[in-house]
This record gives sequence, C-alpha cells and structure tokens, in this order.
Amino acid sequence: MNSSLFRPLVGSLCVLAVIFLFPVQNLAAAEDTAALKARIEALERELDEIKAIMKEQTQQSAIKEEEVEEKIEAVQRDVEATKSAQDEWKTYASKVHLAGYGAVGYTNDDPKNDRFSQVAFNPIFHYSFNDVILLESELELEIEDDGETELALEYMTIDWLVNDYITILAGKFLSPLGNFRANLHPAWVNKLPSAPSGFGHDQAAPVADVGLQLRGGVPIPMRLRYPAYANYKVFVSNGPELELNEAGDEIEAVESAGVVSNEDDNFLFGGRLGLLPIPSLEIGGSAAYGDLALEDEEDRNYTVWGFDGHWIWKNLDVRGEYIKQDVDSLPSSVAPDEQKWEAWYAQAAYKLFSTKFEFVTRYSDYNSSHADVEQEQWALGLNYLILPNAMVKFAYEFNNGFENEPTNDDRLFIQFAYGF
Amino acid sequence: MSNSRYKIVFYALSLVTAFILFPASSYAADKSNKAGDVSRGSREWANNCNRCHNLRDPKEFRDDMWEPIVMHMRVTAGLTGQQARDILAFLQASNFTPVTTGTSRGATLGLTGEQIFKQTCIACHGADGKGAIPGIPDLKERLNSKSEGVLLGHIENGFQSPGSPMAMPPKGGNPNLTSGDLRNVLEYIEEEFK
Repeated sequence: MNSSLFRPLVGSLCVLAVIFLFPVQNLAAAEDTAALKARIEALERELDEIKAIMKEQTQQSAIKEEEVEEKIEAVQRDVEATKSAQDEWKTYASKVHLAGYGAVGYTNDDPKNDRFSQVAFNPIFHYSFNDVILLESELELEIEDDGETELALEYMTIDWLVNDYITILAGKFLSPLGNFRANLHPAWVNKLPSAPSGFGHDQAAPVADVGLQLRGGVPIPMRLRYPAYANYKVFVSNGPELELNEAGDEIEAVESAGVVSNEDDNFLFGGRLGLLPIPSLEIGGSAAYGDLALEDEEDRNYTVWGFDGHWIWKNLDVRGEYIKQDVDSLPSSVAPDEQKWEAWYAQAAYKLFSTKFEFVTRYSDYNSSHADVEQEQWALGLNYLILPNAMVKFAYEFNNGFENEPTNDDRLFIQFAYGF
Repeated sequence: MSNSRYKIVFYALSLVTAFILFPASSYAADKSNKAGDVSRGSREWANNCNRCHNLRDPKEFRDDMWEPIVMHMRVTAGLTGQQARDILAFLQASNFTPVTTGTSRGATLGLTGEQIFKQTCIACHGADGKGAIPGIPDLKERLNSKSEGVLLGHIENGFQSPGSPMAMPPKGGNPNLTSGDLRNVLEYIEEEFK
C-alpha cells in the first residue's frame, strides 16, 4: 500500500480516537472532581470539628485560668490570714509572762543535823500593756519546818512608765534601800545558797514596804570614754513596825515585811542613787528617814543609810554592801533604849570560763544591840553552772555567833536553783 | 526632825523633782526617742544584765515574751527607755534560727566587712577582737585553730563557745546580713586579727 492510502486511514483513526477518547476522559475527570469535592467537604467538616474542639478547649482553658487565678487568690488570702494570725502574738498590746525561780536544798549543821532543808517556789507574774503599764508580782511558797506551806506576797506593784526616764510605781515593793534585798536575793541570782549575815528577814536590811515610788535611769551628760548612767529610786511608804521582845521592855526588831496599815500615822521617806561612771562599776548610796512609834507612845526617829558597790573585771565579779538601821531612844517608852542593826558583806566570785565552775567567797558581819543575834561569817562556795540560770551550789559557812545559838553553827549547804 | 517636817521636805522635793524631771525628760524623750538598735543593744545587754545575774541566752524566749521581761528589767535595774529598747531589739534579733544555709558569695547589704564588724560584732568581740565580755574567745586564737568554712558556719548559724556565758547568735544577731556580708566580715576579721 502506498502512502496516499495510509494518510486517510491514519486521519480517520485519529478522528475516531478523538471522538471516542474525549467523552471517556471527561467522564474520568468528572469522577475525580466528585471525589475531590467529597474529600474537601470531609476536610471542611473535620476542620469545623477541630475548630469547635479548639473553641471549646479555649473556653475551657479560659475557665481553668480563672479557676487557677481564683485558687491562687484564695491561697494568698489564706497565707495572709495565717500570717496575720501568726503575727498576732507579735502585735497585741497586752502581754502576759510567767517568770520566777525555785530552789531545793540540803543542809548539814555542826553539830550534825543532816536534812533536805529547802523547797521554795517563787512564781513572778508580768502583765504589760504596750510599754506603758506593767503589773508585776512575786509569790513565795515555801515548806516550813512543820510541813506547812507558807504563802507570801513578796511584792505586787503597778508600774506606769511615764517616759524614758521616769517610772511611777505603787503597791508593795522590795525595799529600794541597798541592793541585795532588791535585786540579789533570788536563789538563781545569789551566788551562795544563803543571804549574807544581817541581810535576812527582820535583820539589818529592810525587806519590803508598801507605798509609792518614783524610779528610773538617766544618762549622765559627761564626756567620758564610756557613756555614764545613773539610776534613782525615791519613795514614800507606810514604813516598818517596831517589835518588842518577850519581856516587852526592849525593841527586838524592826519588821519591814511591808504592811498596809500605818498605826503610828507616820510615813517613811527615802531612796537610793546608783552611779555607773563606767559600765563595769556601780556605786550606790541609800537613805531613809521617818518616825516610828509603839502603840500609844510618842514618835521616835528611825533612820536607815547604806552604800553598795559592784565591779566586774574579766571573770571576776566583786560586790559589797553596808546597811544600818537606827531607832532613837525615848525615855518615856516601855522600851526606852536606842537600838541599832548594822551589817555589811564583801563577796568575790570568779568564773572559770573553760569550765562551768564558779568559785565564790563572802565575808559578812552582822552587829546589833542584841548580842544573841550577832554573827560573823565566812562562806566559801563552788557553783556548777548547768545553764546561766540553773546551777548547783556547794557552800560551807564558818559562823561565829552567840554561844549555843544556831548563829554559831558552821553549815554545809547544797542548793539546786533554777530561774525561769 | 519631826515627821511632819519630813513630809513637808518630801513633798517639796517631789514637787521640785516633778517640775524639773517631767519637762526635761519629756523634751529629752522627744529628742532621743529612737527605735531599738541591735548593735547598741548587744552592748547594753552585756553591760547591764550581768550587774545582777548571769547573762541569759536570747533563744530562751520568743519575741513577745522578751517584751514584758525587758520591761520588768528596765524598772528593776533603772535602765532608760532607750537602753531597754536597744536590749529588746538585740534579744529579738538574736533568738531566731536562720532558714537558709550555705556560705557561697551572694548579694550584700552594701556594707564593708569593717562596717559590719563595727555595727554587729564589736559589742561582744571588742575592737581588738579579744572579747569585750568575759568568756568571749579571742578571735586570733579562733582564726588560727579553725578552718574558714567552720568559722563561716559559726557566723552563719551561731555558736556556743565552751565556757562562754552566752551563745553567739546566728549572724551575730543581725538577720538581715546575707551570705556575701558574712564572707566580707570574715575576710575583714582575718585581715585584722589573724
């Protein structure tokens, strides 16, 4: 066959192919489009679902954030409330505190008499309102020789702290005359188990009184290497009472336990001035003047004067005190004679700081118009400081008093004292 | 002198005292009534409390408990209000237990070691480092016998020297000091006293 025959044939076949193939192709394309459309529609649905989910999640997330914020705020409120409640004890105006001390002791007298000799408890109550008012009171509970418990109000004062330099206090106070009875007698403070001769109850040093007192501290305006201070106490009180002996013809003692009566209608006036020229040294002077009278008798003069000193140098602590009471004579009295009570002591204590031991020695002398109460005493002591406020004290007293009186007996003391 | 004369003298003296003391002290109080200072307080505490009794550990009582105690001691010992406030500040600053530990160098209060020593440490340790209070150890001796880490730990957490009347409070009683401050003060102590 020649090429002229092929050409129409090829052309015809092409035309036929076009005629048949075009519709087939169109049919296939239409099917693809439908599938694609369906796919797109499916994707759109999925997208809508995702959007819906996301929207829901966003809403939930917003809700959760709010919840979290609310919870945080609630926790913060709780924290503030807790902190506030916790700080209440720091900020409240009225405060109550219980302090005090206790002591138990063992004594061996010469001639021999061993005994557990002391059980004493002295609670001290402090009630304060801000830094303006303070009520302070000490009770003394002590077992007596017969087993009875003695209860006494050692002191009870209401103090008004007027400003930085003045405090006015009223009530029953420890005698401001001297230093031992006012500040050093508590068992955990006193470095020996006993008071110095003449500084016990109804001896040479006044113990307590009822009245009104002005006291405080002031800086001394002097150009010294260290700031110098002074402290002062001025008081007016009911004063002590005179006690007659059994025969009723001699004044045996001046009772200064602090009474709320004033039968002789006389007041006692006095005070103490302490100077601290350097922080480690204090020098004090005390004096009191007044009149006393026995029942239905005239007044007679009563005077007290004394001085005290305290010095610290490194581990050495030295102190001393002198006190004297004098009741004038009164010829018209049933007890006409003048009476005097005089006592002094000097004490040195040395702490061994590499240990907990402290050595103490004290000399004291008590003189009176009544020879049977006089006493001269040397005391040697060794203290073991478990804590600064808890110690065991061992002491031996060499006593020289009136013959056949207990004041003449040497004594061994062991005392366990605790201040709280 | 009769009792009536004593009364007259006493009332006259009281009036004179009141006339002089009240205005004078009120004026002085206005001029000098300052908040308690820890550094002054440590000095006042060391100088005054042992006039009668052994020094008590500041950690014995909580802040609010110290308030009536110091008030009582102010009345008993004849302290001024300022002395009492300073002592209270010292005691309240010295009874805490530090929460943080570690001695790495950190932020400071902007004070030199010397300034910190003179504000916080000098009251007990003294200007010469030999101890201003009986029983406080000589710093030179401590520097030669203890490592720097041990000393830093003592400064940070407090320390009871054997036989000392009191324990050194954490951070010398100044809770605001940072670990950087503590390192600075130790460096100063080493330079000054070793």
